[in-house]
Amino acid sequence: MDEFLQSLIRGLGTGSIYSLLALGFVIIYKSTQVISFAQPAFMLAGAVLVSYLSPVVSFAGAVLVAAVVIAVLALGVERTVLRPMVGKPVFVVAIITIGVDVVVRVVTNAFIGLDVRQVGDPWGLDTVSFLGAEVQERYLVMIATTAVVTAGLFAFFRYSRIGLAMRAVAYDQEVALAQGVSVGSVFALSWALAGGLAALAGVFVATGAGVDQQLWIVALKALPAIIIGGLESLGGAVVGGLTVGVVESLFGTYQNDFAPWLGPNFGLVAPYALMLLVLLVRPYGLFGKREVERL
Amino acid sequence: MSGKRIAVIFAGALLLASCRGGGDAAPQEGAGGIKVDAGVTKEACPNAVDKSKGCIYLGTISDLTEGPFKTLAVPITDAQKAFWKRVNDKGGIGGYEVDVTKYVKDNKYNPQIHNQVYQEIKGSVLALTQTLGSPTTVAILPDLEKTPMVSVPASWTSLWGHEEVVLESGANYCVESMNSVDYAAEKMGVKSVMAVHNAGDYGDDAAAGAKIAAEKRGLTFENVTTTAGQDNQGGAIDAVVSKKPDLVILTTGPTDAAVIIGQTAARGFKGKFIGTSPTWNPGLLKSPAAPAIKALYMQSAPWKSWSTESVGHTALRAALPGVTPNDGYTAGWVWAYPLKAALEKAAANKDLTRAGVLAAVRQLSSVDYEGMLPSGAGNFSASPQDGVFRQNTLYKPDDAAPTGVTLVEDFFTGSTAKDFKFDKPCYQ
Repeated sequence: MDEFLQSLIRGLGTGSIYSLLALGFVIIYKSTQVISFAQPAFMLAGAVLVSYLSPVVSFAGAVLVAAVVIAVLALGVERTVLRPMVGKPVFVVAIITIGVDVVVRVVTNAFIGLDVRQVGDPWGLDTVSFLGAEVQERYLVMIATTAVVTAGLFAFFRYSRIGLAMRAVAYDQEVALAQGVSVGSVFALSWALAGGLAALAGVFVATGAGVDQQLWIVALKALPAIIIGGLESLGGAVVGGLTVGVVESLFGTYQNDFAPWLGPNFGLVAPYALMLLVLLVRPYGLFGKREVERL
Repeated sequence: MSGKRIAVIFAGALLLASCRGGGDAAPQEGAGGIKVDAGVTKEACPNAVDKSKGCIYLGTISDLTEGPFKTLAVPITDAQKAFWKRVNDKGGIGGYEVDVTKYVKDNKYNPQIHNQVYQEIKGSVLALTQTLGSPTTVAILPDLEKTPMVSVPASWTSLWGHEEVVLESGANYCVESMNSVDYAAEKMGVKSVMAVHNAGDYGDDAAAGAKIAAEKRGLTFENVTTTAGQDNQGGAIDAVVSKKPDLVILTTGPTDAAVIIGQTAARGFKGKFIGTSPTWNPGLLKSPAAPAIKALYMQSAPWKSWSTESVGHTALRAALPGVTPNDGYTAGWVWAYPLKAALEKAAANKDLTRAGVLAAVRQLSSVDYEGMLPSGAGNFSASPQDGVFRQNTLYKPDDAAPTGVTLVEDFFTGSTAKDFKFDKPCYQ
């Protein structure tokens, strides 16, 4: 039972990271219909920034400042690089985000230097007893933080004026524009929110061993998460991210005992296998919007 | 003449020009009666010490921007620039100076890009002073052999011992792992071994060496392949924790190694880890996994680290004042010695053509590494069986050491590597 609980908490912890990243992908997609491949670079940049700031302004202060700075950076990228592409095919814009990702990562890599950098988090690999099982504190912090951030985001979209405007734009850009909503501001804010979330996710990834220039690869796990959850659903992004983390962890722990014939490292493939299963049953994801097209 | 016809002639001329590789440049007589062809000019190098000397151009293809080995590749490249500058300051080779700054290309650790940039510089260089990575270099290997383009690898796979155009230095990953298992069996009494490694030449070569040594000694052996990425180490961690081997031979990147060591220790694993040299980065001593790394980890290394006292190490430190100590610099510097020896031999033979350099390589029965490797290293005239260098060192983490590691075992050869017959690459 302890082993199961430990594996579950590990899965939910890493799943929280995937959820934060997936939320960023979905927020941008809902407002602009574009999947932004620049998220990995913002994640890396956030972690690197925290590694510089945490010795100066404490870890918590560094995370807050980094989230804001990366949000402003993402907003700036949207205003300067992507805004001129409004109206162009979304495929073209998505390709441009790949270019943004490469540029931001190359610049960020220059700040990593030769040594692995540390974000200076207070938890390290310390453990705490949780429901009778020894689990790492950092996983509990990841789960709690993601829960708070998700609740905050839902409240923002439900109750704030600009949040409602973002939902309106997600439903229909032209109608929202006709009602006086600044669609451009919504685009910019979407990128800013996604940038801040990516920075937070990057910091959590780096709590285990540090920041190197390969940290960005983790962001790719958000892709099965958003497909499983549904591209238009914030709740789906959270559920998808947590599902990917838990499936990965439980398969890693138990697959060798119960299904060794699946081969080594099936835990890494399991989220993608699950994604295919979900696509077979619900092609638009568990919580996605069913597309209806008039022919 | 119609525009269409002009376009056809222009395109034809371009095609012919692009087909003309450097390898078929006709040999000419250069300075001092030395025969030269591609990559050697009568004109001085761009930053020549002596403008009256000609220039030997060497190419560098490395992982300089966004690939996974940038943190090693950049110091390797910088060290080699410093190495050849020192050669030029000392008078050059055969009336020529050597330039390694004009043809430096980024491969992003991608075999396709590696081949593409190689084709771009191939016609302009005599040899490659660096071709970083095993899979990337394999991508151009047929061309290197055909040209022939003598090349210095920045990797340690056992394949290089079987390729005469490749000038490898130090023990390969296979030998390192054999020696690590032998050391652990004799000094630590390990009975079970697990190889946790990335797929591909790097990890597979080390895992093969560990398996060979474990089987020879009658130890139990487990093979676990893992994918790069901090979030992808769950399977390896679970395998280590559940099988509880006495020794884990690690062949991954540094942060992945730290995740595996830190997380397995946090889950109660008390066995030992010995990682090949690319698993180490001094920054890990500040990571949350540092206590576990200090308690459980050792590093095998093909040569001694930055702060060692030898003629070569001292020259290296003098040539790179003010840099943060990093054994990427050490590696780049050591790797350059065989090519220097080959060029000197070729110049002495009055033949600095590509074929002449390869012929010179075949005449090298040892290379003077200025004390950075033991005498006898760099035997390129012998068969792979006799030429493979079988000694390496072992280090342990140490906060006080400049590169974070301190010597535990000087150059040694275990019984497995000593007796092993290298008739093919270990992983094949």
